[in-house]
Amino acid sequence: MPLDLDDPRSDDALLALYGRGDGAAARILALRLTPLALRVGQRMLGDAAEAEDLAQEAMLRLWRAAPGWQAGGAKVSTWLYRVVMNLATDRLRRRRTVPLDDGPEPEDGQPGAVAGLIEAERAAALEAALMALPDRQREAVVLRHLEGLANPEIAEIMGVGVEAVESLVARGKRGLAQRLAGRREELGYDGD
Amino acid sequence: MTGIEMDRDDDQLEDFFAAARRAAAVPSEALLARIIADAEDAMPVRTASRDPARVAPARAGLLRWLGAQAGWGALGGLATATVAGLWFGYAGLGETGPLAGLVGAGASVGATELLPGGDTIPLLPGWEG
Repeated sequence: MPLDLDDPRSDDALLALYGRGDGAAARILALRLTPLALRVGQRMLGDAAEAEDLAQEAMLRLWRAAPGWQAGGAKVSTWLYRVVMNLATDRLRRRRTVPLDDGPEPEDGQPGAVAGLIEAERAAALEAALMALPDRQREAVVLRHLEGLANPEIAEIMGVGVEAVESLVARGKRGLAQRLAGRREELGYDGD
Repeated sequence: MTGIEMDRDDDQLEDFFAAARRAAAVPSEALLARIIADAEDAMPVRTASRDPARVAPARAGLLRWLGAQAGWGALGGLATATVAGLWFGYAGLGETGPLAGLVGAGASVGATELLPGGDTIPLLPGWEG
């Protein structure tokens, strides 16, 4: 399987091959793109099982889009990010009755001095803080700082201008900083 | 908030982002299997090697071609041996050969199908010796 990830062919080319009946191309695409759909789904939804469902649904949409795919148009990954974000937004709307800021809290009694545990707690704390952000800010922050995308690509995915992306990222980061500020000491930072 | 406080916030946020990047969810084998199965089901065009329904016509076409090349109606010992040899060579290519797509992975293809109704083995030269 690792060889599949090293395949030099572009996502575009593989999708065209799949559209012509090449099952091996689909396998390579699945190995290459499912991690993207899953991790973004997890970060947007904060729920592992739901993120798996979302990833499967997003990939199914990719398979169904293959016959009409326009080569040389949008990058497959950009298209997939957009589908994942739209699916996540739909799911979030359906669960609006759940309070947004009830993110996971670190378990009581965990020794904060253990580096690996602090690392895991920081990741969990960020996930909780992300879930407390408005959806669009969370999208922008996830794509910019966790997926490492450039602002123009984020703008394409989110269907807004680059300036709007910059604003959403800035506001999102301010929200995260405020939310995490009270937990600096327990997460391994010295007190003020 | 002062500039120093903002820089410190950015640095600390980056620590959180880095921790989250390292903790990213990884797809399980079960999820990948479901997604690949979906791809199989949704495949818009099926290749001959995947679809048994399309394998038979393709194989029949090959056999018609072989028959035409050999003068099917007058197969004698030499022609039989030639065609049989060609057939065995072809069949021996397996799934990795250039013609593999014409033969389904699950299809049963034997020499007897080359000569419908005939007894192939006694026709091979030297068999009785």
